[in-house]
Parts: sequence; C-alpha cells; structure tokens
Amino acid sequence: MNEGSQFCHERGEPFLEAVGLGKTYTVGGSMVYALRDVDFTAAQGDFIVINGPSGSGKTTFLNLISAIDRPSHGEVRIQGVSTSELSERQLAGLRKEKIGLIFQTFNLIPVLSAAENVEYPLLLQRLPKPERTARVEAMLEEVGLQDMARRRPNELSGGQRQRVAVARALITRPKLVLADEPTANLDSETGGQVMQLMQRLNQEHCVVFIVVTHDPAVTPYAQRKIRIHDGKLTEGVAA
Amino acid sequence: MTWWIPLRSLVRNRRRTALSIAIVALGTAISFFVYGFLEDSRLQIQASTVSQFGNLQIASTDLWEDTAEGYEYLISPELEAQVRTLMDTRGSLTGITEQLQFPGLVAAGDETQVVRITAQVPENETLTSDGFVFEGRPLQSTDVAAVVMGRSLAERLNVGVGDVVTLTLTTVDGAYNASPLQIVGIYKFSSEQVELQTLFMPLTFAQLLLNTTGVDRLIVNLSSIAATGREVVAIQQQIDQAGLSLEARPWYDLSPIYQQLSGYFDILFGFLTLAVFILVFFIILQVLTLAFLERTREIGTIRALGTTRGEVFRQLIAESGWLAVLGSLTGILIGALLGLGFNAIGLEWQPPGTVEASVLSMQINGMTMLPPFLVGVVATLLSAIFPSIQTSRLRVVDALRVE
Repeated sequence: MNEGSQFCHERGEPFLEAVGLGKTYTVGGSMVYALRDVDFTAAQGDFIVINGPSGSGKTTFLNLISAIDRPSHGEVRIQGVSTSELSERQLAGLRKEKIGLIFQTFNLIPVLSAAENVEYPLLLQRLPKPERTARVEAMLEEVGLQDMARRRPNELSGGQRQRVAVARALITRPKLVLADEPTANLDSETGGQVMQLMQRLNQEHCVVFIVVTHDPAVTPYAQRKIRIHDGKLTEGVAA
Repeated sequence: MTWWIPLRSLVRNRRRTALSIAIVALGTAISFFVYGFLEDSRLQIQASTVSQFGNLQIASTDLWEDTAEGYEYLISPELEAQVRTLMDTRGSLTGITEQLQFPGLVAAGDETQVVRITAQVPENETLTSDGFVFEGRPLQSTDVAAVVMGRSLAERLNVGVGDVVTLTLTTVDGAYNASPLQIVGIYKFSSEQVELQTLFMPLTFAQLLLNTTGVDRLIVNLSSIAATGREVVAIQQQIDQAGLSLEARPWYDLSPIYQQLSGYFDILFGFLTLAVFILVFFIILQVLTLAFLERTREIGTIRALGTTRGEVFRQLIAESGWLAVLGSLTGILIGALLGLGFNAIGLEWQPPGTVEASVLSMQINGMTMLPPFLVGVVATLLSAIFPSIQTSRLRVVDALRVE
C-alpha cells in the first residue's frame, strides 16, 4: 500500500512552501498559539498525511495553506507567490484555479445533483457547457459514480458523497488537493476505498495531496508522514 | 453564474419560499387591486370630464385668464373660420363645435337662481348635453327660446318639461335683456352643482339675446383622450404660426376638480404603496436573513471553492430576484382574479356631491399591473441587499466552522 511505486514519480519543484508560519488567537485576553513557526514544503506529486490529535492545529494549518485564512505571522507561498500579498479576490482565484478541497463532512451543495456539484467549480471557471459536461462525465466515471450523476447528496451514501467531493476537488485539475479528515465520517471499508481513490489520482495526475487526519488507518497511504502536536510539525518516516 | 442554481436554492426550504412568495404576492395583489380601482375611477372621471369639456378648447387668453372687461374675448365668425381652416389638417380631430357661455338669472314664480348658460349648436355631434337628458328631449335645430335644465334646478324651481321660466341677462353692450324660455328637457349629471347651475340653450338664440355674432370658445374632440396633450401642443403651434390671438387648453387644465381628484388618487396610491413596500421590505428582510444564516456553512464551502464575494452576493440577489418575480407575478394573478370577481359583482357607489351612483370597478391591464409589480420586485430586491452583503462578507473559515 505504501510502496514507492504507488506514488507519482514526477517529483518537481516545491509547489507549496510555508515559512515561519504561525497563527494566534486571543482568548479571554491571552494569546493562544494554534500554530507556531512552521516550515513546510510540498513538491509536485507528494502524498502527505498530517497526523495529530484534536486541537493540535491540523485544521488551522490546512486553512492557512489552502488560502482560506491568513497567517498571524510567517507566510505561505504557492508556486513562489506569497498568499499574504494577495487580495480576497486573488485568493478566491487561487483556490479556484490551483487548489482542490475535500471536507470532513463532504460539504456538498444539497440542492445540486452529484454531477452538478462536480460541475460547480467549472462554472466558476466559466468553461463552456460541452467541455464541462465531458469533464464531469469523465470524472464521475473515474470515481465510479457515473450511475449516480443525477442523485442529490441526500440520496447518496457517505462514501459516495465523499467520492463526489473528491471528484469536485479534482475536476479543475488542481495542482494541490487538501483533505481535512476525509475518512472521519466513513466506515473503515469506505474510508479505505476513498483513500485508495485519492492515492490512485495522485499517482495518475501527479497532484499534491495533503491529507490532515487523526485516523491512524490513513497513515499507511502516506508517502510523507508528518506529525503535528501543539502547533508544531515533525516530519516522520518517508514512505 | 447560472440562472438555475439560485432558482434551485429556492426550493430547498419550500415552506419558507412559499411564505416569502405569499408575502410578496399579498402586498402586490393589494397594491394592484387598489391601483386598478383608482385608475378605473380616474378613467371614469376623465371620460366624464371630456364629455363635459371636449378634448380641448380654443379661446382668447383673456377668457382663460378672466382679464377681459365685458365680452371682448368673443371669437368673431371670421376668426372662427380661420381656426376651422387650420383644424382641417389635424388627422386625429373628430369634431369641432362652438359654444357661448354667459351668466344669467333664471326665475320661475318666486324662485330665482343664478345660472351659467351654455349655448351650443343643437344636434351637433361633437359636444352636446343630449346624452344626459332623461326627461323631455334634447335641443333641436328648430328650437328657438328653448332650454334644457338640470334635474336639481328643476326641483328647486318646481318646474318641469313644458313649463316656462324667465332668463334675465346682460347683453354684450351692457344692456339688460330678458326672455321667456320653454323647458324642453331635463338632464341629470353626476354633479349636483352642475345640475343646479348649468342650463343649455340653442346658440343662435343665445347670440340674439346677447346681441352678438361671436362665440367664446371652440370645442375640439379627438379620436382618443390620450392624444390630447400632443394635439394641444401641435394645434397651439399652428395657431401661433397663423398669428391668431387664441390659446388651446386641454380638458385636464379646464377641470380643476379632475386635477384635484387625480392628485388625491396619486397621494392615496403613494401612501398605500409605501405601506405595502415597508411591510414587504421588513418581512422579507427577516425571512432572507434567517434563510441565509442557515446556509452559512454552504456559503463558506462555495467561497472555499473559489467563489468570490461578488459572485456570492450576485447569487443571493438572483435568488431574491426569482422570489421577487414569482411573488409579484403571483400577486398580479391574485389581484387580477380579485378584480374580475369585483367587476362581476358590479357594486354601486354614490360619491359625495353627486346625484348618480357609479359602478365600482377595477382596471385590469398592463398599465395597471406594471406599477404594483415593480413595487413588489423592488421591495423584495431592496430587502435582500443587506443580508446578501452580510452573508457574502462572511470569513470563509468562520463560515465553515458553523454546524
């Protein structure tokens, strides 16, 4: 499962860099460090699992590197561009074009069908309808949901929903996919299927996958294993 | 982004959407019903006023401004002929006739009444009182010392068809004159004041009594009431170019009562619209605020996927736009159905100061549908702006944390 041959071999330039990254919150007048002085690099084709207990700063780290939150200090660079220098609109553009997100609770849009949920990021990119349709059909086939295209999220199982979320994250052909506890709401078998799917997509598309989890069953899928504790990262054993 | 995502979002909470549509529809329906009713009343008054005054009248400015001493304002037969020649070029003109109005005192037995005599050409097709005569007959071309009197005046003088009354007046030279007049017909009108003060008699006999060959105004009828304003301008230009010292005035300038009533209707509809607007605005504001609040996590998700604040704002406004259009259309439909029912009942109402009941009805057409429709749409859209801005400006991380 964690053999090198199962990962992308086209290792490239660093895609994502975090330098001295930190996030603080003020709680009851005192400053709390959610993340402190984190240095981190991810290159093309990496499949990284970040492990840590609840409250260790996993989601905070993910929010910062996915450009949905701004750091208190340090910076995140995506392809050499610091997210701190970008406006809200530019950050939205960055997320739209280069980052795919997978959430713990799937976060599908309830009024849209599986196919429409997958199509949504392409609508943001204003792609023409024929291209959108072709890409959505191909992606749903890739995640094994071609027969579920017209189903609404409430008509899908947890595993199917997460596969829709994976398809939505990959439909724009992003360079970086960030998954926050992708198996947390799935049984172990379904969780394993989702992880295998992500691993296969990493291998085939050479996309950077960063999976944040406290589920030990996810760790064996890692090419790089990172531990996070009290807001600090420690690089583990390479796969 | 697309038109269907906002529409699809509306169906997620059917009860709330139905409630919102019902509120917008109710406000629009009330507004439409009242506006349609007021417009119908306005049209009835317009038709009544035009039947009284013609579409427009041409007279000396001295008559209009009441600045002449004596009868200097009268239009001579030569001047009238010039005007008629000019009018021949107007395609929308359907008729032109002369009129001469003057004050007098009418007496029968011990009763007297100050009146205003309207002398007109009998049996003309432009403007006559013929349609109002309900007892006896209208004036005829062969009539000489004949008069058609209002019902209220006849009752006050205690006279009827065939009776003779005496008219006393001052000629254009300032001499007193008097003549017996036989009542050939009694008319009724919507205004008691008109019935009491206005008498109709043949123009030629009135000119004889006044010792003149002139008339004080020319009354022009047009093919439509709506054409009046445009025609007045065009006719006045022709009059000015011909160097005639005359002025054309439209029916709405000649009837101060119409202007007052029309203004009153505008104020009434304005207040009602404001009330409906405020009602719809605040209720929809509340409903949308709650609806958007419930979708905080979803908004956070689409923002995380790369939707900009502006796109979120536009999507929420588009949802409200659908709500506004669907609600307003439903309101118009309900209002139209109510109006059709109301018109079918044919309720009658006698306005104060009138002697005739009129049928209450509602105008149902595109022109009466548009303002209430716009009120519904604008109120809903405005109420959506604040919650849409607030929702679109949520911090993505905070929105994603909401359960």
